[in-house]
Amino acid sequence: MVNPVLLIALPLLLAFVSIVFKAYKNNLLVFGTLLNAGLVLTLNKGQYIIGGFQPPFGINLVLDDFALTGILIINGLFLVITLMSLEKLEGFASVLLVALAGLNGLVLTGDLFNLFVFLEITAITAYILSSASKEYRYAFNYLVLGTLGSGLYLFGLIVLYAVFGTLNMADLSVKMAAVDASQLVLPSLLIFIGLAVEVKILPFNGWVKGVYSGTNSLVGPLFASVYAAGMLFVFGRIFAQVIPLGTYLRTSLVVLGALTLLAGEVAALSKTRIREILLYSSIGQSGLIAALFLSGLVFVAVMQLVNNALSKAILFTVAGQMADSTGTDEGEELQGAFLEHKIAGVGFTIAALSLIGLPLFYGFISKMNLLFGIFYSDNYWLPVVILLGTVIEGTYMVRLLVKLWTPGDEGIVSEKAFATERPLTIQSSKVMGIVVLSVVLLIGGLLPAVIQDNLTDSGSLLDEVTPAYLFDLKGGQ
Amino acid sequence: MIQYAGIMLILIGIYGLLTQSNIIKIIVSLNIFELGLNVFIISVGFVREGIAPILTSVNNHNGLVFVDPLPQALVLTAIVIGLGTTALGLAFARSIYRQHGTLNLDEIGGPSNG
Repeated sequence: MVNPVLLIALPLLLAFVSIVFKAYKNNLLVFGTLLNAGLVLTLNKGQYIIGGFQPPFGINLVLDDFALTGILIINGLFLVITLMSLEKLEGFASVLLVALAGLNGLVLTGDLFNLFVFLEITAITAYILSSASKEYRYAFNYLVLGTLGSGLYLFGLIVLYAVFGTLNMADLSVKMAAVDASQLVLPSLLIFIGLAVEVKILPFNGWVKGVYSGTNSLVGPLFASVYAAGMLFVFGRIFAQVIPLGTYLRTSLVVLGALTLLAGEVAALSKTRIREILLYSSIGQSGLIAALFLSGLVFVAVMQLVNNALSKAILFTVAGQMADSTGTDEGEELQGAFLEHKIAGVGFTIAALSLIGLPLFYGFISKMNLLFGIFYSDNYWLPVVILLGTVIEGTYMVRLLVKLWTPGDEGIVSEKAFATERPLTIQSSKVMGIVVLSVVLLIGGLLPAVIQDNLTDSGSLLDEVTPAYLFDLKGGQ
Repeated sequence: MIQYAGIMLILIGIYGLLTQSNIIKIIVSLNIFELGLNVFIISVGFVREGIAPILTSVNNHNGLVFVDPLPQALVLTAIVIGLGTTALGLAFARSIYRQHGTLNLDEIGGPSNG
C-alpha cells in the first residue's frame, strides 16, 4: 500500500536534489511528475496518520473521494502541461517540483494549520512563476495580496483554535456544527477572505489581470488549470465540508460568487486580447464553482471544476504559444491562425465549446447536472445568473473562434489571403498534449459513464445537498 | 491585554499596506502585519501563572500548569514562512528597481485599461 505522503515528500526531495545537481534538473522534474502521476493510480482511500499521533492531535492526510479526484486532476494535468512546454522551463524546474508538492499537500491535508503551510508553499511558487513574464510589479502585487490573504486565513484559523481547541478538520466540523453559526461569522469570514484571494473571488482578485495576461505557454495553463483547481478544491473542502455557514452569510457569499461570475464574463466580453478574454473567463468560472461549493452542491461543483481545468489547460497553452511565437495575442492580429494549425485549432475549439457547455463535450454533462442540482435545491435565481453568464461566455468565445478560423472582415467572403502573416509555430509536443486533453473532454461528453464510473463512489458520497464530511473521525486505524 | 496589542499591530500593518506607495515600506507594513498576527497567536496560548512547556528534572510531574505549546510551534512556522515571503518580496523590489529605476509604485504606474 502506497502512502499518499509520498506524493508530497518525493517532489520535495527531488526539488532539493535538483538544486545540487543543476545539470539534471529538467530530467528530475520529468521523473518527479511521471512518478507522481503513477503513484496516484496506486493509492487506496483512507486516512493516513503522520508521525504517530492519533487525530485530532496529530497531522493526518485524508484521502477520500474528494481528495482523490483532486490529486488525480492536479497530477495528471501537471504532467501533461509540463511535457507540453518543456522548452519553456528555463530555471523553473525546482520551483515546479515544490509547487507539485504544495498542491498535493493542499488537497490531501486534514489539518487547518498544515493547510496554511501548504497554501504558503504553493503561493510562493506561484509568485516566482508569475515573475517569468519579467513584469515584476505584477508579481509583487500578487505577493502582497497573497501574503495578506493567507495572513487573514491564519488569523481566522487561530480564532477557531482559541474557541474549539482543535485544528483537525473533521474534529472541527463536528464541534462547529454544534454551535450557532451566527457566532462564528468573524473566523468564517476571515478564512473566506484568505482563500478568496487565491480563488479569485470578486473584490480580492486585483492581482489576476497583471499576472495572467503576461503568462507564457507553460505558466498560463499551470495557473489557470492546476493552481486554480487546487485552490478551488481547498475552498470546497473548507466551505462545503468543514465550516458551517449561517443562512445569511451563506446567501451573501453565494451572491458574491454569482457577481464574480457575471462581472468576469462581462469583462471578458469587452476584451480583444486572447489571454485577457481567457483570464476574465477564468475569474467567472471560479466565481461559479465557488458559488456551487457554497451552496453545498459538491458533486456538480467538482464536475464543473474538472471541465474548467481541462478546457483552460488547452486554451491557455494555445494562447500562450501564440503570444510566445508571434509576439502578440491580439485576436485581430491573429485572424485565421488556425488554418495552418488545424489540429491545435480543433483542440482549442473543443475546449472553448466545452467551457460554454455545448453537447458532445464534457461541459454539457457538467452544466446539465449543475443546473439540475441547483433547481433541486430550490434555488431559482442562481440558474438564471448562470445561464446569463453562459450566454455572454458563448458570445465572446464563438466570436473569438470565428476570428481565428475565418480571416477577413465582416460582410466579405473569407479567404485564406486575409489570414495573419505572423509566423505561428506550435510544437508537436504541444499538439499531442492538446489532442490528449481534447479526447478526454470528448470521452467525457460522449460516454459520461466512463468518467462518472470513476467518480461513482464519490457520486453517492459527494452527491448530497447538505454538507457532509465523509470520513470516520478517529480514522480507519 | 496582549491580544489588543496584536490586533493594533495588525491594523497598523494593514493601514501601511493601504497608504504606502514605496515598495520597501509596503514590505515593512507586511512584516508589521505578520508580527501582530504572531503576537496574537502567542496570546491565544497564554495561561495565567503557567510555566514554559518544558519538562525538566524539577518540573516533571502532572500537576504543573503549562502555557499552551501549540501556538508557539505555529508561530515558529509562521515566522519562517514570513521570512521566505519577505526575502522574495525584496528580490522583486530589486528587480523592479532595475527595470523602472524607482521604488515608488505611483511613479511606475499601473496597467492600462485600454
